[in-house]
Amino acid sequence: MSAKNHRSISLILAGASCTLLGAGAPTKAVAEEASAWDFNTSLLYYGEDGDRVKDFSVSAIAKRMFVDDRYLTLGLTVDGLTGATPSGAIRQDVPQTFTRPSGNAAYTVPAGVLPLDDTFKDTRVAINGSWQQPLGESGLINLGASASREYDYMHLGVNARYARDFNRRNTTVSAGIALSMDSLDPVGGAPIPLTPMLDVGDTSNRLGDQDKDVFDVVFGVTQVLSRNLVVQANYSYSMSDGYLTDPYKVLSLVDGTTGDTLLRTPTPGVEGPSHQFLFESRPDERTKHSIYGQAKYFMNGKVLDASYRYMTDDWEIDSHTVDLRYRIPFGEQRYVEPHLRFYTQTEAEFYRLSLPDTEPLPAFASADYRLGNFDAITVGLKYGWRTRSDDEWSIRLEAYRQTGTVPSSQVIGNQASRDNYPDLNAIIVQVGYRF
Amino acid sequence: MNRTMLAAVAMLCLGTGCASMGVEPWERDVLAKAEMQLTTDELEAATDDHIYFSKEASSGGRGFGGGGCGCN
Amino acid sequence: MGSPCELVCETPKRANALELTERVAAEAWRIEDKFSRYLAGNIVARINASAGATTEVDDETADLLDFAVTLYDLSEHRFDITSGVLRRVWRFDGSDRLPGAGDVAALLPLVGWHRVSWQRPLLQLPAGMEIDLGGIGKEYAVDRCANIVREARGGPCLVNFGGDLVATEAPSRRRRWKVAIEGESDAQPERIIDLKQGALATSGDARRFLLKDGVRYSHILNPSTGWPVPDAPRSITIVADTCVEAGMISTLAMLKGREAERFLEAQGVVGWCRR
Repeated sequence: MSAKNHRSISLILAGASCTLLGAGAPTKAVAEEASAWDFNTSLLYYGEDGDRVKDFSVSAIAKRMFVDDRYLTLGLTVDGLTGATPSGAIRQDVPQTFTRPSGNAAYTVPAGVLPLDDTFKDTRVAINGSWQQPLGESGLINLGASASREYDYMHLGVNARYARDFNRRNTTVSAGIALSMDSLDPVGGAPIPLTPMLDVGDTSNRLGDQDKDVFDVVFGVTQVLSRNLVVQANYSYSMSDGYLTDPYKVLSLVDGTTGDTLLRTPTPGVEGPSHQFLFESRPDERTKHSIYGQAKYFMNGKVLDASYRYMTDDWEIDSHTVDLRYRIPFGEQRYVEPHLRFYTQTEAEFYRLSLPDTEPLPAFASADYRLGNFDAITVGLKYGWRTRSDDEWSIRLEAYRQTGTVPSSQVIGNQASRDNYPDLNAIIVQVGYRF
Repeated sequence: MNRTMLAAVAMLCLGTGCASMGVEPWERDVLAKAEMQLTTDELEAATDDHIYFSKEASSGGRGFGGGGCGCN
Repeated sequence: MGSPCELVCETPKRANALELTERVAAEAWRIEDKFSRYLAGNIVARINASAGATTEVDDETADLLDFAVTLYDLSEHRFDITSGVLRRVWRFDGSDRLPGAGDVAALLPLVGWHRVSWQRPLLQLPAGMEIDLGGIGKEYAVDRCANIVREARGGPCLVNFGGDLVATEAPSRRRRWKVAIEGESDAQPERIIDLKQGALATSGDARRFLLKDGVRYSHILNPSTGWPVPDAPRSITIVADTCVEAGMISTLAMLKGREAERFLEAQGVVGWCRR
């Protein structure tokens, strides 16, 4: 055992170092091992106006870095949904009664009010995981899986992506593929398409569980154009197969001249629909093509993010999306980022406002506003700041507005005097915390 | 003859142009910044993808189709 | 210095960074030229060729010698700047060629600070003995350069001479320097350290060792036996206020062999050992 006390060695050394180096007491060292984990968490509120959909969501992504540029990513989202959504039936000047999707009860909508179905109090849990690692000198591979569950829907999916760098990492080419196997178990059972909404307790026109498979392929190129500019272009192909109909949506069967919804004689002693409604029907296949381009441009501390997407599919829907974000830093630790998004789409070939009784029933028909002809705009602002411990907070507030038009050829008689398209107004509030 | 030559020259320029487009490794300072990544915030991007998938007829573009839910 | 040296600056003006780099490089070369045992004509060469005569040294050399004496005492005579002659028989090239016991024993009479007469500023080495400042020189250079940066108000800078480094301040946006410590192989960093400010130094045998019959011989030699210190950790990284402190604590710990971890714990320093 040494005569010198172990503890004093570092003190003597500190003193001797001071003497050797001459310049006063140096600043105290501050260092620690870096955390291998990276967390990104958020709280989201999405709220449409009136009685429509409200959603609360908690999300977290955890990313762990392993030696050699390998990453494990795990994600979890829990959503709580309440509120009502347009059922597809049109307004009338008289009250309307509908049977709930479950078939167990009925609900009445006052005259002049857009019929909304509020069955959707639901909780959804979604998880996903992925593994990423380098492959060869300049390649990268990513394998992932996802799953989600809500009371009437289940999703299982796998995905893979390969990317390779060229040209001193200035060019990256990537290819990705994703497969989804979803299954639906709608409340009350999936209705036979284009059959009438029946009385409470009558589930004779219901089918069992339904399946839906989706196959996605994405090809992309990323190119560094200059020290301050990087661009990306992607082509995507998506094929959906199976039950693509919304089991809860209906169309109003209307008089071919007046445009008013046909009345229905209810069964005596039983509650049931007051008018005639048919369940919607969509094709069992959908093929989509999209091209997407994005540029990120650094201008003296500020960053402009601009992207455009064009989508076309075999339902005859075409859409254009333009998304602009402009990040403005304040000092080294804070920034604001205004956001603008423009969206427009044309209606699906089988979109119908209502079904006139003077025409034969089409093979497919849907009054779902989401397949209609509309424009949408999002305006938002995000504010972010970094704390002393290098964590990042952010908060963003966005307003989303959808305004649609029904093709004039589909507006019949008295329908022209009513507001037919269910416009959408929603606000989005999201608080994020990264550490 | 002229047209073919012009096309050939254009292709050559494009080819060599692509090969020389970009920056040297030591010029990647700006590109390395977090805010210059193509997806700055994965969670925000996933949230937006999900919201717009639920309310519009298009999805994805940047990555996979998104979805995987019975969103109404 | 035997390794790549760099200065990383965070400054808005390119001209400032260039000027600071030139000053730091000039100081690094000055120290290298003055104290390297590989160069002829400098103070170390003159001392080593003195053949028993007394040499008068300047203040800077005297400061380094005083520091070496402190280390000699603190390490219970295991850190000894006269042990450099042992490299005549020890070549740590990763092979299995150990020197013969007789060859090592023949050099022992030329090793030992107790044989040296040091009365500042006069140094007298017996004939055949040599001094080697390689164990202190690099860390000393890093600290001197860090001081140049601080005096020039250079802002957040990282002075990094082959893994012995000092951060003068945390960079303003990222708030810390990320330093990777080598692991088993070059491609695999063992750990990543978030360094806000201060010094980091590593002692390790990553490239300098011998391997025979499954026994690994590190390049840390015990001057009293002439043989490597047994059971030394493969690598020790220490955080301290200055690079000389960090470097010397890690060297002292290495010299403790299997007691290295206990020594570090008793000292209460921030550091990481790999065996």
